[in-house]
Amino acid sequence: MKRIKFNPGQATIAPLWNTNYMLIGLVGLLSIVGLITLFSASVHLELPFFKKVVGRQLLWMLVGASLAISLQFFQKKIIYDSVYILYAAGLFFLILPYFIGPSTAGTARWLILGPLHFQPSEFMKIIVILAISKHLSRRDLSISEFQSLLPAIALALIPMAIILKQPDLGTSMIYFGILFPLFFWAGVRLFHIFLILAPFISIVTAFNFYTFFIWVVIIVVVLYFSKINLVTALIIGLLNLSLGLATPVLWNRLEPYQQNRILTLFNVGADPQGAGYQVIQSQIAIGSGGLFGKGLGKGTQTHLKFLPEQHNDFIFSVIGEEYGFIGVGIVLALFLLLIILLISIAFRQRDRFNSLVILGVASALFFHIAINVAMTIGLMPVTGLPLPLLSYGGSFVLTCYGMIGIVLSINSERSQTKVELRK
Amino acid sequence: MVSSQNIVSIGRKKILIYFCIFIVLILLIKLYQLQIIRYSQFAGFAEANRVRVIPIEAPRGIIYDRSGEIIAENIFQYNLNIIPYEFGASDSGYSWLANLLRISQGELKLRVQKNWRGRFLPVKVGEDIDFETLSVIEEHRLDMPGVLYSLEPIRSFPSPANLAQVLGYLREVDREVLKNIRHFGYRTGDLIGWKGIERQYEYILRGTRGYDYLQVDVFGREVGALDNKKDILPKPGNDLYLTIDLEFQAYAESLLDGKSGVIIALNADNGEIYSMVSKPDYSPNLFSGIVESKVWAELRDNPDLPLYNRATMGTYPPGSTFKINAAMTALQNHTVDEDWSVHCSGSYRLGRRPFKCWKETGHGKMNLHSAIVNSCNVFFYQLIRKMDIDLWAENARRFRFGEKTQIDLPIESVGSVPDRKFLDSKYGVNGWTEGNKLNLVIGQGDLLVTPIQMARFAAALASKGKIVQPHLGLKYFNKDNNQFTTFTTKTDSLGYYSPENWAFVQNAMYDVVNFYQGTAKSARVKDMRVYGKTGTAENPRGDAHAWFIGFCETEVHPIAVVVLVEHGGSGGTFAAPIAGKLFTYIKEKGLK
Repeated sequence: MKRIKFNPGQATIAPLWNTNYMLIGLVGLLSIVGLITLFSASVHLELPFFKKVVGRQLLWMLVGASLAISLQFFQKKIIYDSVYILYAAGLFFLILPYFIGPSTAGTARWLILGPLHFQPSEFMKIIVILAISKHLSRRDLSISEFQSLLPAIALALIPMAIILKQPDLGTSMIYFGILFPLFFWAGVRLFHIFLILAPFISIVTAFNFYTFFIWVVIIVVVLYFSKINLVTALIIGLLNLSLGLATPVLWNRLEPYQQNRILTLFNVGADPQGAGYQVIQSQIAIGSGGLFGKGLGKGTQTHLKFLPEQHNDFIFSVIGEEYGFIGVGIVLALFLLLIILLISIAFRQRDRFNSLVILGVASALFFHIAINVAMTIGLMPVTGLPLPLLSYGGSFVLTCYGMIGIVLSINSERSQTKVELRK
Repeated sequence: MVSSQNIVSIGRKKILIYFCIFIVLILLIKLYQLQIIRYSQFAGFAEANRVRVIPIEAPRGIIYDRSGEIIAENIFQYNLNIIPYEFGASDSGYSWLANLLRISQGELKLRVQKNWRGRFLPVKVGEDIDFETLSVIEEHRLDMPGVLYSLEPIRSFPSPANLAQVLGYLREVDREVLKNIRHFGYRTGDLIGWKGIERQYEYILRGTRGYDYLQVDVFGREVGALDNKKDILPKPGNDLYLTIDLEFQAYAESLLDGKSGVIIALNADNGEIYSMVSKPDYSPNLFSGIVESKVWAELRDNPDLPLYNRATMGTYPPGSTFKINAAMTALQNHTVDEDWSVHCSGSYRLGRRPFKCWKETGHGKMNLHSAIVNSCNVFFYQLIRKMDIDLWAENARRFRFGEKTQIDLPIESVGSVPDRKFLDSKYGVNGWTEGNKLNLVIGQGDLLVTPIQMARFAAALASKGKIVQPHLGLKYFNKDNNQFTTFTTKTDSLGYYSPENWAFVQNAMYDVVNFYQGTAKSARVKDMRVYGKTGTAENPRGDAHAWFIGFCETEVHPIAVVVLVEHGGSGGTFAAPIAGKLFTYIKEKGLK
C-alpha cells in the first residue's frame, strides 16, 4: 500500500469518488453472492419457507440500501452531536427485553414490536463505534495517558455486560473487537493495550500450568521493557499473577451448575443436538465441496440438518460445499478487499472522528467475518456471530448497510468539502 | 505538517492490513486442508455415508398419588417416521405408504407438512403402528428408503380414578404452538403438557431428549455408530407426587357418577387436596397418544363440558352456604347479638315484594344459631337490612372470595363479590335496591364463587381462620440429585375474628349436621364430629344447585369437604348425603 498524500487539488477528488464506487461495487457483489447462496440453500425447502427466506432477505437489503442512501443527506455534525443520546437510547433498548415480553432465557436478545423482531444488540454495534470514536477524537484528550482511555473502555464494557447476561458471549466479544483496533488507530500506546488485555489473558491461561507459565514470562519481559517505574511494574505483575492463581481456586469452589452456567456462555444454544455435532456437519459439507464445489443448489450436506442456522450463521458452509475452494477463496478475497479499502479510506480522513468511525466499521466487519468463518470450519467454538452481507437476518442486514452508509456519507462529505475549498 | 493530516502513522495502518491478511491466510490454509487435502475423506462421508441423527424421546416423569400409587405412567408404542430427503416425493412412494397406514394420500401429505422439520430430519407420519405393518416395512427396507420406525413413550393411566381435568392432557407441538416455545428446545411433533397438572408441572415432568448418531448408506441402511460422536441418552422427566389419595378419589368419583358436579376434600390445615372431582369427566386414556379428531370433537362439543374443570373454573351462586358470611360479619361487628331474634312466617315483605323463606309455613322464632341450623332466609333478610352491603362484601373478601386461590392449576376463575361500587356500575347508582342485598345475603344474585374458593372457605372455618393455598402438587423427585423437593405453599392467618365467634359458628355448623332440625342431617356420621352447611342455589338454567360445605375432625387435622351437585335440587337432600358418605369413608378407612 502506497501512502496517499493529501494534496488539495483536483487530482485527489477523482480517486476519492472512486473509492466510494469501489465500496458500493464490493458490497453489491457480496450481497448478490449472499442472495444466490440463500436462494440455493432454501430452494429445496417447502415453498412457504423459501419465499419467506429469500423474499425477506431481499426486502431487508432494499430497506438497508435506502437507509444507507438516506444517510448521505445527514450532516455528520448532527450524528456527531447526538452520539451520546443515541448511546443512552441504545442501552435502553438493550435492557428493555428484560422487562417486557416473554421473560425466558434466550429471548432477551429480541425486542418484539408486533410482527417485527429486533435485535437491539446489532444496532448497538454502530452506536458503540460512534461513541468510542467521539471520545477518542476529543481535542483535550491526551491519548498517551492511561486514564483518558477509561471512558472508552466503559463505553464498550457496559453493553458488553448486558449482552453477556442474555447470555451471548460471541456477540458481546464484538465490542472488544471494536475497542482495540480503535485504540490502536487512535495512537494508544501498545503497552496500555497490553495492560487492558492482560487480566483476561491471565484468567484464560490460568487453567493450564504451561500456558500460564509462558504468559507470566511474557508479562515479565514486557514490564521490563516498558520503562515504567519498578513499583508500578511490580503491582501490575503481582495483580495479574494473583488473578491467574486465584482463578482455578475460585472455579473449583463453584457448584457444578454454576460452572455449567459459565461454560454455556461459550456455547449458547448454538448446538442443541450435542456439542460439536454442528461443526462436524459443517466440516463435512465444506470438505466435500472440494476445489470446484458441487454446483449451485446441488449441495446435499449443508442444506438443512439445522434449518435456521444454515441461513444465519452457517451460510459459509453452503458456499464451501457448493462453490468449493475457489468459491470460498473468491468470497474471502472480496471480504479482504473490502476491509483493506475501508482501512485506506479511514487512513485518508483528515478528521479524527471520521477516521475512527470508518476504522471502527472495518474492525466490526472483519471481526464478524473472521470469527464466523473460523467457527464454520472448526477453528473456533460456535458463537452467534453472523457473516456480514451474506447471512440471513433483518437486524444484521440493516446494521451492515447502515455501517457502509455511514462510511459513504463521511467519505463523500470530505470530497465535498474539498470541492468547496477549491473554489 | 503533512504527517499531521493523518491521524495515524503509516506503520500502524500497515500493521492492521497485514494482520487482516494474516488472519484470512490462516482461514484459507484451514479451508485448503479441508477441501483439497482431506477432500476425498469428506466427500466419502458426504456421498456414501450420511449421518443420521435419531432422536430418542424421553419418557415423561411418572405421576404418583400421595402414597406412591401410580396415577400416570408411560408405555411405549411404535411410531412411523419418514426422512423426506431419502423418501423422495414420488406419488408411488406416497401411495404405498398411505396404503400401509390405511389413510388417504392427502392425509399423509398433510401430516408430513404439519410435522415438517427439514429435509433430513424424521417426520412423524403414523402412531401406534402394529406389528404386521412393522414387518411389511422391514421387508421393504430397500425399496422404500427413508422410512423408519421408532419406539416412543406415551402416557398411560392405570389408576381406577379418572382425575381427568385435574391431570389435563398432552398435545402435539405444531408449528403454531412452537412459535412461542421454541426457546425451550421443543420441536414440532413433541408432546407438551397442555392442560391441568401436565401443563402446570411441565417443567418437572418433561424429559430431555437423547440422540443416536448413526451412519447410514445411500439405501438408508444403518452401517454403525459414528466414530467421533457418542450417543446421548435420553433423560426421563422427574417424578411428581400429588396430594391426591387415589383410592379416596376413585370413591368420590363414583359418588357423582351420572351427575354433574364437584367434590373437593382437602386438609384444612395446609391445603393439600385429597380429592378433586369434576363431573362429567372422561377417561384420561383417551388422551394417551394422539387424540383421534372424532373423539376430540365429541369431547369438545359435548354440551355438558366434560373437558372443563368445574372445581376451579366453574362459577356458581353459593346459596345458603354463604349465610355464614353474614353471620360472621354480624357477630364481629356487633350488628346484632346472639340473642337477637326474628319471627319467620315463611316470607318477608320488602315494599310490595315478598321474599320467601324456603319453608313456606315459616320457622317461627329464630335467633342467629337456629337461623343457621334451619337455614332460615327471613332471619337473614332482616339481618342484612341492618348491615351495610360493603361491610358484608369486605368480610367475604376477607375470606378471599373474588380472588384466585392460587391453586396449582393453569386456569382458575375468580367469581365476583358485589359491593356498592359493583352494583352501582352494573345497575346505575339508583338502579338497585335493598332487594339486591336480600338476594345476596342468601347467596343468590350477582354473587359468584368457585367450588375451590368454597373449599378454602370451609377450611378457614374448620381451622378457625387459616387461609390455605389449595394445592395438588406434594413433592417431586429430582433425578439429577436423587432428592425429593416438597412444594411450599402459602398459608395466611385471618386473625380477625374473636375465638368466641369462631366457636359460635362452628357450634352452629355442628348442629346443622347433628341437631334434629339441622338441614344436613344426612351428612351425620356416628362417633365423628362433622360440621356443615347446606345450600340450594337457584339458577335460571334449571333446577337449583345442591351445595354442601363442611368439615370433619380427625385425629390429626380437620378435613374440609365441598360437594356441589349441579341442578341437583335441595342441598340437604342431594349434596349432604354424598358428604356423609365421604365422611364415613374418612372415618372407616382414613386418608393416607
